[in-house]
Amino acid sequence: MNERLLLVEDDASIREVAALGLEQAGFRVTTSGDGREGLLQFRRAPFDLVVLDVMLPSLDGFEVCREIRRDSRVPIVMLSARTDTVDIVVGLELGADDYVTKPFELAELVARVKAALRRSAGIQAEQIIELGPIQIDPAAFRAHRGGEEIALTATEFRLLLELARRPGQVFTREILLELVWNYEYLGDSRLVDVAVQRLRGKIEDDPAHPKLIKTVRGVGYRLDVPE
Amino acid sequence: MRRRAVPPGRLRRRLAIAFLLVGGLSAAVLAAGSYLLVRHNQLGDSVDTALRQARSNLEIAPTYLRRKDGEEKLLAALERRGEFETIVVSGHRSFSSSFSVSPRAVPADLRQLVAKGQLAWERTRIGEEHVVAVGGRSGPTQLYFFFSEQDVWDELGRLRATLLAGLGLVALLSALTGALLARGLLAPVARASAAARSLAEGLLETRLPVERADEFGSWAASFNEMATALEAKIEALSQAEARERRFTADVAHELRTPLTALVAEASLLAEHLERIPAEARRPAELLVSDVRRLRRLVDDLMEISRLDSGAESVLAEPVDLAALVASTVRARGWDDVDVFAHPLVLTTDPRRVERIVGNLIQNAVEHGRGHVTVRVERDDRSAIVDVLNDGPGIPPEQLPHVFERFYKSDPSRSSQGSGLGLAIARENARLLGGDISVRSTPGEGARFTFRLPVTEPLRPSEDAVAATQHDGTRQTEKETS
Repeated sequence: MNERLLLVEDDASIREVAALGLEQAGFRVTTSGDGREGLLQFRRAPFDLVVLDVMLPSLDGFEVCREIRRDSRVPIVMLSARTDTVDIVVGLELGADDYVTKPFELAELVARVKAALRRSAGIQAEQIIELGPIQIDPAAFRAHRGGEEIALTATEFRLLLELARRPGQVFTREILLELVWNYEYLGDSRLVDVAVQRLRGKIEDDPAHPKLIKTVRGVGYRLDVPE
Repeated sequence: MRRRAVPPGRLRRRLAIAFLLVGGLSAAVLAAGSYLLVRHNQLGDSVDTALRQARSNLEIAPTYLRRKDGEEKLLAALERRGEFETIVVSGHRSFSSSFSVSPRAVPADLRQLVAKGQLAWERTRIGEEHVVAVGGRSGPTQLYFFFSEQDVWDELGRLRATLLAGLGLVALLSALTGALLARGLLAPVARASAAARSLAEGLLETRLPVERADEFGSWAASFNEMATALEAKIEALSQAEARERRFTADVAHELRTPLTALVAEASLLAEHLERIPAEARRPAELLVSDVRRLRRLVDDLMEISRLDSGAESVLAEPVDLAALVASTVRARGWDDVDVFAHPLVLTTDPRRVERIVGNLIQNAVEHGRGHVTVRVERDDRSAIVDVLNDGPGIPPEQLPHVFERFYKSDPSRSSQGSGLGLAIARENARLLGGDISVRSTPGEGARFTFRLPVTEPLRPSEDAVAATQHDGTRQTEKETS
């Protein structure tokens, strides 16, 4: 353990208690109460995960998320109010890995953080999977197309890997939530839909007419190996 | 409220019929009267003329009859006197002025009367021609004269036809006048009816034109006053309601940040309860449970204000209703809730259905005496979830209010819930296109019925994918080919 977390949250009480809870769970937590300052801190030191509130002074959580995603695949967990369902989707589209809705119990936040870290922790001793021009290297946690690396987040990589391990098989959203996000309860299937959209945008030639990741209407998704 | 089905224009039709009856009947009486009068006069004149001529003929007859073969000569003489045919019956012989008339043309009654020596007449026909037959005796000889009446009858026929045509025209005109008058008269009524309907449909700015200085005009003015008052009242009410809802939303929103801190703090505190000194432990426990209660209330407030704002979206996917109900019951740890359900798959938003069913069961558990029954059924158009409890039931006067926000049947009773559970359940049900109804017999419990219309054919659950089983695990997906 002892992973380093960056917590960006403007409300002092929430910031303090969340930091306290995460520290008690064994993480080293750096806090910031401001979007711009949080981004500066992120660039100053390496972090294993970022917990990011949406409503932040100076630079909101979406902007911070977008900035971080420019050059980092660090897992990001957004803190979002359930009143703003749009927030959740926007955050996920910007590359957040997961979200926790306010109010939250600390056990839930800790569980989500741990799950996101596990996803990014690499998968040992698995062979490289070839999908036509795309090569997936589980050990290196990287995917390449024609020798060039595809910039995937940890969640996107896990999603691609799970689908690619059993090509042709249909995965329901629930199963994917379990396999990729480690959710053992009814999660939000939008997590899956948005992540699939993002993944298609990075690996499909024409994301509007996907050849690799097919939607199975009313059921879920399936990955087809190209001829 | 349903409008009574009065076919439009019934009054107009009645007025037209009344006009038709009055106009048509008067015209008919007039026409019939004048026709009968004319007929009487014409036919009377014709008989008078015939009798005059006959008497005159009879006067000259003896002069000829005294002679030998006087009958022939008489016929010849009479022929010059006028337009009539003559038959002379003398003993067994008879003489005719024309081939067209024969002694058989003489009616029997007339013949008898003449035989008694009377001058008599009778209307009869020769072939198709109307004639007046006049008979008289001159000594032993009987004379019969036939005067054509065809012209009179023809004229009467024409008169009858003309009168009938006139009558028809008058009747038509009366009916038309009645209908037009009725339409003119009743147009304001039709307009008012349409205006009232559009008012009822929510177009509060509807007004009637005040264009006449009669009773209808003042009626329209009163109608407009009423509509204005109604519009103002409803406007005020909806503004008040909007303010109230905005206030609720604002409160919920403002509470969220401190509540988030409280929930996080209480959850951290809960992990360390056993290490808290004994004298502070109980208050800490209470704090933790009260924060949870507060969270439920604020969550519910936020949900209802989201539903009010209409910003909620529906994420539909195939759902096995039976499995969903069973897993909801298990997840909440309700042991005294029996679920009777056959697999039933439909496309809807599972989280909302879970919320609806959960709130209904929660309510049934709170107000029951310990036993709750849930049935998942279907009919032709809907999936139905029935939630029954064995509680004291709901008095009839409270039934219409149970879905109101913060409504408590017994104000002195404190409830675990927020008081918003049923309101949230119903709003969610309506969002999904369904509804919730309630029935109750006091003393025998209450039955809440959640009805969810389905447009697609209902399928058995074999096709369902990853339906949650009763033990909480998931079935692996089955591929649909």
